[in-house]
Amino acid sequence: MKKKRRLVIRPLRILKHLILILVSFVSAFPFYWMVSAATNNTADIILGHIAPGNYLLQNWRTLTESGRIGPAFYNSVRNAVLLTISSLFISSMAGYGFVIFRDKWKNRVMGILMLSMMIPPAATLIPLFRMFSQMGLMNTVLGFMLPSVATVFLIFMFRQAAQTFPQEIVQAARIDGLGEFRIFLKMFIPVMRPTYAAAAIVTFMNAWNSYLWPLVILQSPEQLTLPIYAGSFRGGYVLDYGAIMLVVTISTIPMLIIFFTLQKSFVQGILGSVK
Amino acid sequence: MKKLFALLLTLALLLGAVGALAETTITVWCWDPTFNIYAMNEAAKVYKEINPDVTIKVEEVLSADCETRQTAALSSGQTDSLPDIVLMQDNSGRRFLDTYPGAYFPMDGLVDYDNFASYKIDKFTSDGKRYAVPFDNGVAATFVRTDYLEQAGFTLADLTDITWDRFIEIGLKVKEATGQFMLVTQAGYADFVSMMTQSADFWFFDEEGKPNINNNPAVKAMVETIVKLHNSGIVKEAVDWTEYIASFNNGTAGSTIQGCWIIGSIVLAEDQAGKWGVTNIPRLDIEGGVNYSSQGGSSWVVPASSKNKEIAVDFLSKTFGASVDFYQTILQSSGAIATYLPAAGGPAYAEPHPFFGGQKVFEDLMSYSDKVPLVKYGVYNYEARDEIVNAIEAVFNGATVEAALNDAQSAIEFIME
Repeated sequence: MKKKRRLVIRPLRILKHLILILVSFVSAFPFYWMVSAATNNTADIILGHIAPGNYLLQNWRTLTESGRIGPAFYNSVRNAVLLTISSLFISSMAGYGFVIFRDKWKNRVMGILMLSMMIPPAATLIPLFRMFSQMGLMNTVLGFMLPSVATVFLIFMFRQAAQTFPQEIVQAARIDGLGEFRIFLKMFIPVMRPTYAAAAIVTFMNAWNSYLWPLVILQSPEQLTLPIYAGSFRGGYVLDYGAIMLVVTISTIPMLIIFFTLQKSFVQGILGSVK
Repeated sequence: MKKLFALLLTLALLLGAVGALAETTITVWCWDPTFNIYAMNEAAKVYKEINPDVTIKVEEVLSADCETRQTAALSSGQTDSLPDIVLMQDNSGRRFLDTYPGAYFPMDGLVDYDNFASYKIDKFTSDGKRYAVPFDNGVAATFVRTDYLEQAGFTLADLTDITWDRFIEIGLKVKEATGQFMLVTQAGYADFVSMMTQSADFWFFDEEGKPNINNNPAVKAMVETIVKLHNSGIVKEAVDWTEYIASFNNGTAGSTIQGCWIIGSIVLAEDQAGKWGVTNIPRLDIEGGVNYSSQGGSSWVVPASSKNKEIAVDFLSKTFGASVDFYQTILQSSGAIATYLPAAGGPAYAEPHPFFGGQKVFEDLMSYSDKVPLVKYGVYNYEARDEIVNAIEAVFNGATVEAALNDAQSAIEFIME
């Protein structure tokens, strides 16, 4: 009897799968093309050659010739990792504080913070540049990190997460004599791991992709980051698409690693964690 | 012990001072390793002979990024981060000079400007002072497949010194004979908007810098010509830069009309060697219309904040502003076509170009650059161009030329308020 089930054709399901296949193709194909273009030369790419070619080594040589890809990769990883760690720590502390402690102004303060999200980053660029260059923070990691070490988005995200955090735990811990900072460290952080994972991915991605701020604050060639290096390939009258695609492929690798290691927690974190 | 320390300190200071005297480093921002960075490094070699104590340090910074950094530094007044020399797009010259008066170092009397094409110098002239050493040439030309022309019974000479109407006539015959498009450009015709207007000795702004669009005979003729081109069916309208290049590399289109720097992309299609020719561009059929214009190009400027600005200008004037030999070297290796007119007399410029069937392409291009109408660029060149591109789109969709240009005029007036 059970075998009969196989014969049932469900048009709706077929349609659903067709749509899903189409959507996966649309989102996966550019990715495939990027990787395969990294193995072709410019002329082939322009003429729409889609299959992998054998110019990978030549493109690699173009990248390594200038000796800039290694340092750029290192700088980008260093900047992104440092920013992610410090910004997660500071923003989550703020979000936690907004929920756990009582203050009649705190909602208004949060409101003002939310309003500041509406200021486009380009508008604050020049004042920030003036401040930071006067403080002597040009070409330093600190100069890169400080403006985005506490972001409203993360504070908001952790505030929402902290609202689901049981107050009883905090109270019990206080009665048992645990200090406020250690409550945060030992109680809040472990429970909120999925939120941290989601926040880590978002922060790392923003830091990894950031262009405008590093461009003006990290001007010395020694502080070059990967997006700016990749951008330098589109400057010429004749573009080397093979090299561009290879550098872009390389620069997606860390993001892929981060995403796949944190994937499970990421989905949980976005869905709202702690049940 | 104290004495020894003091002695050492003095010695260190002295050595430091001597070192500073002997060694000057000039930092340069530019962006293309095979083109302007290469040229800069070659110039550094030439200058090493003249002044061995000066080191030229080239930093690769994308053109848009150079502008972002200059905007940040000049707006905030923190100019320490600026280099001694920056390469700047000709289209941006007026914007930076007018927005930040005093931010750049005038070079009058230090550079021999008589040897440069005047249309280039004017793009970096503000209040009668000249602020740049012109670098690469943006002179416009028609690059065309001579084999396509032959199939339709034409030669390169038939395409020389003609009007746009004649160009369309020839294009229709070429399309009939070959089945391919006569011309390729990026959809929107943005390149043609500026090239055609300049070829009739007009610009989007008048002498005082006010928008001059709806009462401008050249703009009107330009829009009408573009509409004719669009309706004729001889133009392949490429969606982006890649498709634009691909269209002539794969033979879909028989010509392109562009700044001469496009050569680098044309010669990529090695299988088409010998099948290309170069001639001047078609002209607008109005009074003052000529067969010459320009598109793109860049120049070297020196920020006034530079501590070594005199040396920087001396370096520029003795290399980019004085050496015919230097221009021969960079032409051969990188295809960087000069705006330094005496360079055309050098041997590399007289060399027949095999890809263009032995035509002396560079000599021809140099002869065009002296005839490019000198128009006064404004601060909002790109904005005005984009408004006109929108107007043309409106005309394609049925609006009248007058109405569309009136809209463009008020839009750009609004932006400039």
